[in-house]
Amino acid sequence: MEYHPLPQPDEIPVREREDAMGAYFMMFATAALGLPLPIINMIAAIIYYFVNKSKGRFVQFHTLQSLYSQIPVTLLNIGLVVWVITNLVKEYDFTEVFWGYLVMTAVANLIYLIFSVVGAVKARKGLFYYFLFFGKLSYAQVYRVRVGDGEQQRENKPPKM
Amino acid sequence: MMRTSIIRDLVILLVIFGFIWGIISLFPVFPEKVELVSIEREQELGETYLEAILKNSDFEEVTSEEMTNAVEAIGLRLENALEGSEYDYRYLVVDDKMINAFTLPGGTIIVTTGLIEFCGSPEELAGVMAHEMGHVEMRHVVSRLVKELGIAILTSGDQFVMGEVTRIITSTGFDRKQEQSADLFACELLEDAGIEPRTLATFFRKLRDDQDNELLEKFEIVSTHPNFTHRIREVLEYVPDENFEEIPMEIEWEEVKGQLPEGRVSK
Repeated sequence: MEYHPLPQPDEIPVREREDAMGAYFMMFATAALGLPLPIINMIAAIIYYFVNKSKGRFVQFHTLQSLYSQIPVTLLNIGLVVWVITNLVKEYDFTEVFWGYLVMTAVANLIYLIFSVVGAVKARKGLFYYFLFFGKLSYAQVYRVRVGDGEQQRENKPPKM
Repeated sequence: MMRTSIIRDLVILLVIFGFIWGIISLFPVFPEKVELVSIEREQELGETYLEAILKNSDFEEVTSEEMTNAVEAIGLRLENALEGSEYDYRYLVVDDKMINAFTLPGGTIIVTTGLIEFCGSPEELAGVMAHEMGHVEMRHVVSRLVKELGIAILTSGDQFVMGEVTRIITSTGFDRKQEQSADLFACELLEDAGIEPRTLATFFRKLRDDQDNELLEKFEIVSTHPNFTHRIREVLEYVPDENFEEIPMEIEWEEVKGQLPEGRVSK
């Protein structure tokens, strides 16, 4: 499998770096909204991805990585909200398994937060930063050379005489 | 190459988080365990608390022999059915209008005259006492005290701690799971003692239909659990063995009730 060459930091315009950084920071802005309903930041992340994906592979990589890494965290948070509400409504006990899940979700959120900050800082500097799993996944998706890549490059030619 | 590397990363992530979940689920974070208090120590504590409760609260021990004998007879019947208990049970009747029964550490079960008045038969009282014995045998009483006060304070036997201990013991506060397991324990014990386990359901139903009764306020069996119907169903679902034979209690219940102080009579 072939991959497109990676741009070096000095080749990436400031504008693109800022958009890439924004992908991570936007999550914090929506995190407050996402607290009662974790699905909201998910939707915001998806919109951000589709708005910015055409701004070059560097931006696309970072937004996609941010989006992907958010999916499991969001699912865990939704699970937590559902679990707590079910327990409260049906008056179930908060079991050890629940506390285990709570701690796991808290750790996941914390790790996500730390990695996002580092990712944002690196993106601003025009650097790549690969999260475990999600980094490779995004890289493979964005930088892999696909059939048809390059075909769109149009060329102006003089009229045929 | 890339694909295997991605899958490997995913596995690493799943293992890390699965590990966190599993470890916390299997090893609860509460460092203080009830096992740290031995049964001997529990019984010693029970003695001290009993003295303190009788001295400091409004409870007055009932001296009517007929009444204490009846309660003891019920207790003995249950005890005989109880196999391999490490506790020496003691029964005490205190004069209090509140419908209540509670248990001290070490297996002292205290019932109020209010409860005796409320029970329609000795079997109903046996149901409540079997439930309390469940709390004792499963060490719910000590674990609640350990959870609320901590082992250090609890075992210090300090005079000033007594007030708080009294409050905890005489008030509500077992959790749902503990109540359910005590119910189940009571059903099994009642069956073994030759008492129809579903008498407990009858008693619960009476409590449910009498929820507005302010004398019920402190009764642990009632107040922790608004969802009484569910528990009644669970008790009813307990089906005794085919060969189960009910052995009636030889207690003249009306006469026992006649001994209620201040000439109170049952409704």
